[in-house]
Amino acid sequence: MNLTTFYLAVAGLILAPLLGGLVAGVDRVVTARLQSRMGPPLLQPFYDVGKLWSKIIAPASHWQGLFVRWALVASLASDVLLAAGADVLMCFFVQAASASFVAVGAFCGSSPYSKLGAQRELFQLLAYEPVFLVAILCMAKVSGGFDAYSFMASQQPLLFKLPLLIPGLLFVVLVKLRKSPFDISASHHMHQEVVRGVYTDYAGRDFALLEIAHWADVVVVLWICSFMWATSALSMVITAGLFLFAALVIDNISARLTWRHMLKVVAPACLILATANLLWLYME
Amino acid sequence: MSFLKTSQIKSPWLMHFDCGSCNGCDIETLACLTPVYDVERFGIINVGNPRHADVLVVTGTVNPRNAEILKNIYSQMPDPKLVIAVGACGCSGGVFREAPNVLGGVDKVIPVDVYVPGCPAKPEAIMDAVVTGLGKLKGILEAS
Repeated sequence: MNLTTFYLAVAGLILAPLLGGLVAGVDRVVTARLQSRMGPPLLQPFYDVGKLWSKIIAPASHWQGLFVRWALVASLASDVLLAAGADVLMCFFVQAASASFVAVGAFCGSSPYSKLGAQRELFQLLAYEPVFLVAILCMAKVSGGFDAYSFMASQQPLLFKLPLLIPGLLFVVLVKLRKSPFDISASHHMHQEVVRGVYTDYAGRDFALLEIAHWADVVVVLWICSFMWATSALSMVITAGLFLFAALVIDNISARLTWRHMLKVVAPACLILATANLLWLYME
Repeated sequence: MSFLKTSQIKSPWLMHFDCGSCNGCDIETLACLTPVYDVERFGIINVGNPRHADVLVVTGTVNPRNAEILKNIYSQMPDPKLVIAVGACGCSGGVFREAPNVLGGVDKVIPVDVYVPGCPAKPEAIMDAVVTGLGKLKGILEAS
């Protein structure tokens, strides 16, 4: 590892959560505008995390603090791996570990909503992880390597050879943003049927750390999506922005999608499309 | 003020509990979340979990059965917390105050910071109560 890689890794560690917080702020402002509301300030997610950090409350289970910290470490590690140009597949597995820690922590709680949310978190993992995995395999097949630099070094946008990945990646963004379906494990929508699902038993500082882990996760997912048009840094930012905006629009026009629909229809359809794209690449 | 103290004022998460209201005040409370009033401008989110809540908005009269639930919800909220009693019933028991099964207003069971009169209370008045409560919280945080 040379010094540049080290600096990039440190930059990833510090900037990714900050960028994730800004993405959350943009998400809330754009969502409000789509609903003809004014919405909160752009920095509202940072105030929310600051508020949660200042609240001292007894944890629902002593194990939760441990799992929250492991989830944060895994989420930040996936950002660091991407920033340092490491194996994207490894980044994907580390990021999946983070989601698993959140679910295991929620199982430790006493609330039935927390347990139900944890179960749905596992369903979610089952639904989007195969799609995401096949998407990364497709990208690696086209760019000729699994490291992030190979993905970003391709002369031609990957999108031209991977058009069938778009629905799958959008599905992953929607789920990782904790947007649709509304009854997903920890939806941002208020008054959903499982309160805050997997987050129900987390409170105070643990919840603040989980929010930061979530921001880091969102940055990883949007970063991997941006590989679809990675001819320059600007094109990557625009691609990530388009994925984010598309996810917000879909969330606002499909308010009544359920997790059953996600598991039975959307996940298989996206997986079939992504696999078809992979087979096409091999037969080419 | 430090960033953490400022955050507490700029991010009040609100929990609404219907103690036995006729639903008039509940509808007005939920109206605050619509595009017309949009309380999210102030960073307010309506949450369903007392462990995440900073402000408890209570509507309706208190009776011996829901008093226990009200105390339970209040005790689960982390400090510092605000309680807002909404509507005539929440403030004093309203027209039901003489009823045999009614204890009275919310302050018979838990300490109330801001009272919102009206039958039903207007959304503007409820939003004003939250802002007033945050002013009170700011004073407490500055003194600490």
